Amino acid sequence: MNSFQMAWRSVIRKPIKSILLFFVVLIISMFFLSGMASRNASIATQDKTKQAVGAGFLMEVNEENKRDRADEILAKKTEGEEGNFDGVTVKKIETEYGTSWSVSYDNSFQTLLISEMEKIAAVSGISEYNLTTAVTAVNPVDFSRIEDDDVDQSSDLLCVSLIGNKDMALDANVLSGNVSIKYGRMITEEDANVCVISEELAEKNNLSVGNSIQFNDRHDVENAAVFAAEIVGIYKVQQKMTPIMSGDTWRSENIIFTDLGFPEKAEGSTSGALYEKAYFKVADVNQYDEIKKEIQEVDIGWERYDLIDNNGNIDKMSKNFNDLESVSQILVVVVAGASLIILFLVFVFWMKERVQEIGILLALGTPKIKIFGQILLEAFMIATAAIFLSFTAAPAASQITASYLVQQQVRQADEQSVIEDGKVAKSAEDSEETVTGVSVAVTPELMLYDWFGVALLVVISVGAAGTLIAHKNPKDIFSEIS
Amino acid sequence: MVLEVKNVNYAYKSQKGKEILKNISMQFEEKKFYTIVGASGAGKTTFLSLLAGLDMPVRGKILYDGEDIQEKGLNYHRKHHVSLVFQNYNLIDYLTTEENVRLGGTKKPQDLLEKVNITREDWKRNVLQLSGGQQQRVAIARALASNAKVLLADEPTGNLDETTAGEIIELLKRTAHELGKCVIVVTHSKYLAAQADEIIMIKDGCIGSFTELSD
Repeated sequence: MNSFQMAWRSVIRKPIKSILLFFVVLIISMFFLSGMASRNASIATQDKTKQAVGAGFLMEVNEENKRDRADEILAKKTEGEEGNFDGVTVKKIETEYGTSWSVSYDNSFQTLLISEMEKIAAVSGISEYNLTTAVTAVNPVDFSRIEDDDVDQSSDLLCVSLIGNKDMALDANVLSGNVSIKYGRMITEEDANVCVISEELAEKNNLSVGNSIQFNDRHDVENAAVFAAEIVGIYKVQQKMTPIMSGDTWRSENIIFTDLGFPEKAEGSTSGALYEKAYFKVADVNQYDEIKKEIQEVDIGWERYDLIDNNGNIDKMSKNFNDLESVSQILVVVVAGASLIILFLVFVFWMKERVQEIGILLALGTPKIKIFGQILLEAFMIATAAIFLSFTAAPAASQITASYLVQQQVRQADEQSVIEDGKVAKSAEDSEETVTGVSVAVTPELMLYDWFGVALLVVISVGAAGTLIAHKNPKDIFSEIS
Repeated sequence: MVLEVKNVNYAYKSQKGKEILKNISMQFEEKKFYTIVGASGAGKTTFLSLLAGLDMPVRGKILYDGEDIQEKGLNYHRKHHVSLVFQNYNLIDYLTTEENVRLGGTKKPQDLLEKVNITREDWKRNVLQLSGGQQQRVAIARALASNAKVLLADEPTGNLDETTAGEIIELLKRTAHELGKCVIVVTHSKYLAAQADEIIMIKDGCIGSFTELSD
């Protein structure tokens, strides 16, 4: 009878020891799979979070650099000279208290340079990009704006605000989920002379999609050229958009989204458009970090800009789930250690229970290596059955484990946040994102790792338990039995 | 002469210096039935263990067909030269009668089981379901399954009633005389000892050989 036949008969005909090992391995395997799947689940969740907050990069003009450039230009001009110097306008103002100087920047001086933004947009991995103009105050020609009746409007510009977008769907207000379309559609790159107005403004002026409204330069409302924009959509907000300064010109309801070129026309700009923000959307969130590196290597005048990645929210969320990754890793290591001890004890029990059988086989001239081979074979038969069963139960067990670990991480993060509240300076507002669930996948790769891991533990445990008997000669074993 | 013991000494490792067997020399032949007798603790089982290759002598040699059994290894000796029968049968508890016999060697288990009078309906039963006498007969059948020339038995009738013991003794005698094996049996039973062709007495670590048992 060969070792396989012997092992099979032992497994089937001595069910108690087989069942004991079966359940031990089943539990070990499930813990292993749960730990490994949770580790992967944490990464998946992290990616989803990135997607949820909009995986992309924002470019803005660096204010410090803007001031430095202006200082440089002003240093070159002659003392007391007025005029426009490379986009910096210097004006002398005579008052009753004496002479003062006003310095302002025109659009060409402070805008993002389209040629440089296009270089970044060309980086592989950037799927779409958007340019957004500065909020531009223009005079409403043929419609009324929303005003607060209790506020004196004499100090206000009496304007509405225009925000031009290359692709409105990528505007920060839309990406955040605060602005959404109630009627009509958003503005796309192909559009010209179109706008999307607030539902309040539409209601007040009885406007609907398809109507046109007119604007002109607020500095000369009587004579300036009038520009009409067709209403292609009406938007609603979750919360009022924050005005950039006080006054009804800037209030949320008076903000009108237009195509990218419209604000400069309506305000009568002579120095081109003022592009304030550029947003670059990442196609594959898993390549976020690699794309960031590639962007930073693009040859543009970087001193002029600030590159802002997902504004700190992701860092916080990622940090939580990195913790989860390490917790999952600890779980796997602890399970491995505990399993080794448990399996060793199980096999010591096996060996003790089978001393007589080992003695008989030795007396029949069976080499020790063959006897241990049979025991190992039995262990593998039982372990393989247990591991296969664990594969079917693992998805549910992994889901429970991962969800539990995520909940613990989120709870821990919340507690930490309460402790740190008001004590720790943060570069960004805390994320409002909440984890609603965790998805785990027990992949064939994980199953393979699990099988190898458990098999290794079994081999080590059988080997360790076997040494207790290996050094004895058959006579000692028979003496023990008697 | 199939088995020869040459100047063998043995002492337990735990009892340094105290020799259980002292300079023993002895020869065993095929077709003969030997019994080893002596008081408890005299070293009978130890002597049998040395013959079986279950342990090694401190000094001296055991030769099988003129060759030191340690040369090819004790495992080889146990597998090819000798077969063993124990007082407590030592059958494997999760195997059937037939499977236990098959463990002993390549001979057909059915023939051997018939030879030792185990009925056909018991062949497929778990061996632990058989009576003590039947189990000992299965153990003998297992010993006969190999081509070993020597059959060693340690108190084979110790757990059996008189009638069954008589049957086992007969079986062992036939094994020696009809099958041509060298059968060496350790026993306390005077009756069994008296059946032997040669009786070996171990006393105070020394050995004596007789053809008849005296008081």
